[in-house]
Amino acid sequence: MEQKFKRSFDELRNIVTMTEAIFRQEDLQADLRNVVDLATEELFVNMVTYNTESDEDILIEMLPHEHGIEVSLTDYNVARFDPTSASDVDVDAPLEERTPGGLGLFLVLKMVDSIHYEYRNRQSKITFVVDRK
Amino acid sequence: MFEIVMTEAGIVRVEGRLDAAQAVKAQEFLDQVGGQCVLDLSKLEYISSAGLGVLLKTHKRLMGSGSGIKLVNVNHHIHDIFRYSGFDKLFEIVPAAR
Repeated sequence: MEQKFKRSFDELRNIVTMTEAIFRQEDLQADLRNVVDLATEELFVNMVTYNTESDEDILIEMLPHEHGIEVSLTDYNVARFDPTSASDVDVDAPLEERTPGGLGLFLVLKMVDSIHYEYRNRQSKITFVVDRK
Repeated sequence: MFEIVMTEAGIVRVEGRLDAAQAVKAQEFLDQVGGQCVLDLSKLEYISSAGLGVLLKTHKRLMGSGSGIKLVNVNHHIHDIFRYSGFDKLFEIVPAAR
């Protein structure tokens, strides 16, 4: 299943609708939903927020497999940014040193089972896998 | 769907999905809250980093005046997110009954 989405946070509800559809259609384990939703949102929001030089839609592909689901997000006509190299967050820091930013990609890297980045011809593609537990 | 309301008991009830599209609405609501703030998350289905940012910003503001946020009725998935984020060390959290 694949679908393109405009570069707007308002598309998050449509992304959730797509995810609901594939989970229902493929009878995927419900426990995987929250991690898939979280990782998809964080990566989509990162593209919308930081790849501001592009006005092209973002492609999301969801591919169920034997052990879970693979999700890819492709952003077109953008500079290279590898989310897998995002800075770590010190989750043990005291409240006064914590700031609201930076948690999104940190959570993605912690919660998905694998993640892979490709950059070719100004296309930025990130693919993650969430497996059954 | 996302809703945030103050109950008659003075508890803030958060419902639905607190994602990046809803974070502004949540922040505007919580910016109006003062003193010790109890958030009932029993009907919160989902939270992303945008929602975590709203909680952190509000908690820091309230802690500055000697109070803060208490998170109650937290389901296991939301609790996992709090744990990965280190929020379990920053907030008083009461898990939902199983």
